[in-house]
Amino acid sequence: MPDFSARVRQTLAAGGRAIDDDIAEELGTHASAAYEAARADGLDHDDALRRVDGLIAAWLADADRLQRRPKRAAAIAAPPADSSAWAGLAHDVRYAMRLLRRQPAFAFIAVLTMALGIGATTTLFSITYGVLLRPLPWPDANRLVRLSESRQGRAPRIRGTITNATYNAWHDRHATVEEIGGWRNVFATAIVRNGAEPVRLQTAAVTPTLFTVLKAVPLRGRLFVDDDGKPGGRFPSRDLIVLSYGLWQEQFGGRDDAIASVVQVDGKPLTVVGVMPREFAFPDRETRAWTPWAISGVVGRDDNGRPYTSVQIFQAMARLRAGATPSQAAAEATARSRGAPDPGLAAVAMFGDNGPAEISAVPAIAMMTADVRPALLILLAAVGLLLVTATANVASLQLARAATRRREIAIRAAIGAGAGRLTRQLVVESSLVGIAGGMAGLACAAALHRALPSLLPADFPRVADVALDARVMAFAAFASLAASIACGLLPALHARRVNLVESLADDGSAPVGGGMRSPTARARMLIMVGQLAVSCVLHVGAALLSRSFVALLHADRGYDPTNVLTARIPLPATYSIERRRDLLETLSSRLRALPGVQEAAFGNALPLVSAGGFRALKMRPPANPAIEVDVNAIERVVSPGYFAALGIRLRAGRAFSDADTPTSPQVIVVNRSFAARYLEGGARLKGSRFEEGIGAVVPNLGMCRGDNDRWQVVGVVDDLRQGGVGEPDQPEVFIPFVQNGCANAVPQPFVLVRTAGDPLPYVAHLRSILRQEAPSLALDSVMTMEDRVTTSLAKPRLYAVVLAGFSVFALTIAGVGLFGVLSYSVAQRVREIGVRTALGARTADIVGLVLRQVAAIAAAGITIGLVASYAASRSLGTVLYGVGPHDVLTFVAVPLVLFVVAAVACLVPARRAAQVDPIRALR
Amino acid sequence: MGTTLLERELKRGSTELLILALLDERQRHGYDISRLIEERSGGAITFHTASLYPTLYRLEDRGLIEGRWVERAGQRRRRCYRLTAAGRKVLAEQRSVWDTFFIALNRVAQIRHA
Repeated sequence: MPDFSARVRQTLAAGGRAIDDDIAEELGTHASAAYEAARADGLDHDDALRRVDGLIAAWLADADRLQRRPKRAAAIAAPPADSSAWAGLAHDVRYAMRLLRRQPAFAFIAVLTMALGIGATTTLFSITYGVLLRPLPWPDANRLVRLSESRQGRAPRIRGTITNATYNAWHDRHATVEEIGGWRNVFATAIVRNGAEPVRLQTAAVTPTLFTVLKAVPLRGRLFVDDDGKPGGRFPSRDLIVLSYGLWQEQFGGRDDAIASVVQVDGKPLTVVGVMPREFAFPDRETRAWTPWAISGVVGRDDNGRPYTSVQIFQAMARLRAGATPSQAAAEATARSRGAPDPGLAAVAMFGDNGPAEISAVPAIAMMTADVRPALLILLAAVGLLLVTATANVASLQLARAATRRREIAIRAAIGAGAGRLTRQLVVESSLVGIAGGMAGLACAAALHRALPSLLPADFPRVADVALDARVMAFAAFASLAASIACGLLPALHARRVNLVESLADDGSAPVGGGMRSPTARARMLIMVGQLAVSCVLHVGAALLSRSFVALLHADRGYDPTNVLTARIPLPATYSIERRRDLLETLSSRLRALPGVQEAAFGNALPLVSAGGFRALKMRPPANPAIEVDVNAIERVVSPGYFAALGIRLRAGRAFSDADTPTSPQVIVVNRSFAARYLEGGARLKGSRFEEGIGAVVPNLGMCRGDNDRWQVVGVVDDLRQGGVGEPDQPEVFIPFVQNGCANAVPQPFVLVRTAGDPLPYVAHLRSILRQEAPSLALDSVMTMEDRVTTSLAKPRLYAVVLAGFSVFALTIAGVGLFGVLSYSVAQRVREIGVRTALGARTADIVGLVLRQVAAIAAAGITIGLVASYAASRSLGTVLYGVGPHDVLTFVAVPLVLFVVAAVACLVPARRAAQVDPIRALR
Repeated sequence: MGTTLLERELKRGSTELLILALLDERQRHGYDISRLIEERSGGAITFHTASLYPTLYRLEDRGLIEGRWVERAGQRRRRCYRLTAAGRKVLAEQRSVWDTFFIALNRVAQIRHA
């Protein structure tokens, strides 16, 4: 038998084809088998040989394909060890940049998502850090504590204050603290330089020790010393003033001769003794000057030698000794305070109770930020979720890209890239996205920062301490990097599982029914579930806060804030009582005469601004005259039109009228709480017959009407909320302005003008009337009542708006992500859909296929989200009003909204699926 | 993934599927494979011997089959091929695709007759 291997090789060589020996041998064995078979069929040698030659000729015709690929061998030498890591990294970076440039849409979306996520997170982190964590700008600020006093658990009328009884007792002897200091804010009209316009200043009256507590150092001149406050008088203070840096620059151009010059404050000449450095802002940035203040004793004798009892409440701060804790300081202060003279009824007026004093000491920073802390932490958690969502979204995009790049990854693996190398490549790619996103995010944050002072409510604490500093930058960098690595690792993990052979043979479509079977698709689906869950949590939070805000806005405050113009008219202490009365009555009657004005009135109190005074007295309740009870009430001195101007509802009896004069019987109007608590023996509460209170007599209101003054109740009005709507009811007494005999009972009266339409145009009238009647006076705090209400709600509104923004962003991401995942899944299942259509599936069935997938994802995400929301919304409890943390409407509406968004997201993919042409799909 | 193969095989006479199916039974050498395809199809599938070896080599490159030289006493050494795990998987997938496809065609055809 011929050597067929040689024959094959010769024939092919003659045809110009060279083949491997290996293949020649294999074909040779085939040829000889064919020869033997031919001979077995009965052919002779020549015929059999001819048949074999025909076979060899056929091989020759297709000889190009007759070769095995060489076994894998490193075609290119591995890079030398020393240049490995960094050279490779630079290459990876270049390669990643090229890829991103080739897919600008992906790059744009990924960077934008990251930028918004990181920008929002960085901004919120900087606010949280600046407000809650950054040390206060005083030396050893962690040793500063704020003091608050309570009696039997009752907080004082002004929160976070202590009494002079406590201050004096502790100030005289203290072991746990180095020093304590007190202050109160004072609004003053000042003429800083001769001939200059009067300016309204916020000043602080401070004890000389306060500067010691703060360890403050003046820029020019000196601070107050202990004796500055003391000599003479009942509420003495020597006539000195320390200027803020801003006021000094503004009024004295920063000249040194400001020291020892004289400033007129509220008609009193004060000598400038010092200037504070630019960064000194206490108690806040609005304070422009400081005057010395001596805390008076609880009992003493006035200038005429008559004994008096005086209780002051004011804010106070202490500096702990090294090693002392706030609770030790609180214990000491409590003990000292209980040894102080008993303020008696004055304490009842301030606290509503005269039990033993209880002093608490909390770190100054915690006290300052107490009312924003829960909300900030909630928002920080929310923005953290948002960043996770944004990161997951970019990871999902990367996964989708990785799926379409399986061939590329397989080829890279085939030519020798190790798993580590591939992981690095993918992480470098997502790091580029992360870094670009982080930088864009920082730019967003920087822009937001400039806008912060106008975005944050005016009373937001420590806005000036919020800064984009190194720490915040480091946070942003860390967040970007962490997010990038998270985004890169997921696809890298999948890349490592890539089966080389399959990937190279594969065209990326799914096997029948396998739209979600690939690990990539499963990972993206899980991400979608997570994103929907996060959206759900954020939406529930935003919905609850919004509903709470609306509830706050529409809450019944006991007065009607629409169409009321309000302003304060600070009156000099030198005005006599007659002059005050004349001025205010002329003002209100001239205002009433204006067309469109329904009522004009004045009083010493205005909701949200000033409560008026506090009064404690002893009386025998009409229902049980045998006993004497301690009565405490807010005391408001008002003109007859006050109730109508503010829209306070009269429940029984009458309001004041012009018939109530200084000489007519003394009358008062009380609110429901007062009537229920003191006039009906407390037995019948709200909703009872208020008429019972009418005619009752309340003694000892004072008002400079001599001893044994008696006042008859002529009317009962609804309770009104002085501050927030959540505050407890307070007993109140209204006293006619004309029947108050004290010259200075209403030092800074408020004017109220109720108009038929928009009250703002009446500001000009008010100003011109005041200018005509009293040219030296200036209006202060001119605002509509509605604006005051809105301003007081700035924080809840801000929280609701910010959380709503986050939730909309998260839902947009989730919606777009869902759209992407479904489109991808439909594209992968085109053939399956084609087969199903060929099998007789109708359009509805195909659309149902996609819808089922969406429904599964949405149901899973929303269920998880609802459970998480249910648990998380409890933390919102403290900031909610008028809506429970588990509000049913919210928990029903939010899933519906999410389902609608999911449905919208699947519209296009479902349509695309329905339009799959089976003929083309199966070709 | 099997559907790529399907497309290709529709045009090429299903060579790969046939080879994989034959190798599923036991390991075989090239001549054996070509003879069995002709025999079992009763000549219905026109088989180009020329394309057998290129196809074998391609399948081998893709790791679906594995070839090795086998020597038996008194015989010339022959290169025998057997199915790899990957090859078995692809074969199973292809079979299911074909099944589905045939059922589909069948149903469509019946509907048309009705």
